[in-house]
Amino acid sequence: MMQFVVWFEQVEFIAISCVVIFLAYLALEHKDIVYAAFFFGLMAAFVSGFYLLLEAPFIAGMQIAVYTGGISALIIFAVLLLPRAQDSSLETFASPRRRRGAIVLTALVILLAFALGTVYPWSQSFSPQTPPLQNNLELLAQWLWSNHGIYVQMIALILLTAIVGSIAILKMEKAEHVTLIRGEFGIESVEEPIDNIASEPDDDDSSSQEQEADSS
Amino acid sequence: MIPLLWYLTVSFIMIGLGAYGMMTKRNLIRILIGAEIMGNGVNIAIVAVSIYSPVFTIAGQGLIMLIISVAAAHTALAMALMLMYHGRYGTVDLWHPIKLEDDVDG
Repeated sequence: MMQFVVWFEQVEFIAISCVVIFLAYLALEHKDIVYAAFFFGLMAAFVSGFYLLLEAPFIAGMQIAVYTGGISALIIFAVLLLPRAQDSSLETFASPRRRRGAIVLTALVILLAFALGTVYPWSQSFSPQTPPLQNNLELLAQWLWSNHGIYVQMIALILLTAIVGSIAILKMEKAEHVTLIRGEFGIESVEEPIDNIASEPDDDDSSSQEQEADSS
Repeated sequence: MIPLLWYLTVSFIMIGLGAYGMMTKRNLIRILIGAEIMGNGVNIAIVAVSIYSPVFTIAGQGLIMLIISVAAAHTALAMALMLMYHGRYGTVDLWHPIKLEDDVDG
């Protein structure tokens, strides 16, 4: 019976890893970037299967909530917001030489990671079997909130900085359209307040007014 | 029981796929997807190593929670940069030729 459970776990792992690697390949190589974003979200959902196999259910839930629910939705929004993102001419390679170089560099990355992960002596210190995890969530909450609460506050600050930085970047882009008044000592003022730029009248309206004037 | 090496192999393959995508693609969104795939591979490796390690079983999971939060933050920042790039150059092509004099004010 025990042997059957081990065998079933291994089959589960192989199935999940095949699906994850295939979906990651599709997310990178599919011609339509909207489908690629969906494949990425699906891949992130399947990655949580690894965490379930590793007996870390809370991380699995967080993976689904943040990656599948948040980041892939953000990528889909970006694809829909940027009209040129679906340009199929972006999917062509400049030269096969660059592609070959990338494949060689990728093989080097995998080999280096493999060497660090397996050949390096610290891998010998791991137990061949996972320890039984009792009260996993309770221990995790205790680790995070009792002993290392300062890290949570630091992450909160990083999130706040990222939000404020994103807003500031987009506001800077808007401020670049303002006409600067240059004086003797550099930029002295702007013609109009940054948030109060009067929109120019559309050409269609002016042409229709001209037509009305001509007809009258 | 699944050996630790299996998890590490999958995570290394994902890191390699993400690196390949980041090196060959010219669409900025595709490059971001490659970076996220790399990050997922690293997360799998960290959780697997921490679960199999006799000391860092809980610490690894806590670390991954923090890493996932930061990943969400840096993706939002990357999106803002991408919107700025698109607003300025009218494309999301990373190999788009950029003239430096366009950036000089006045």
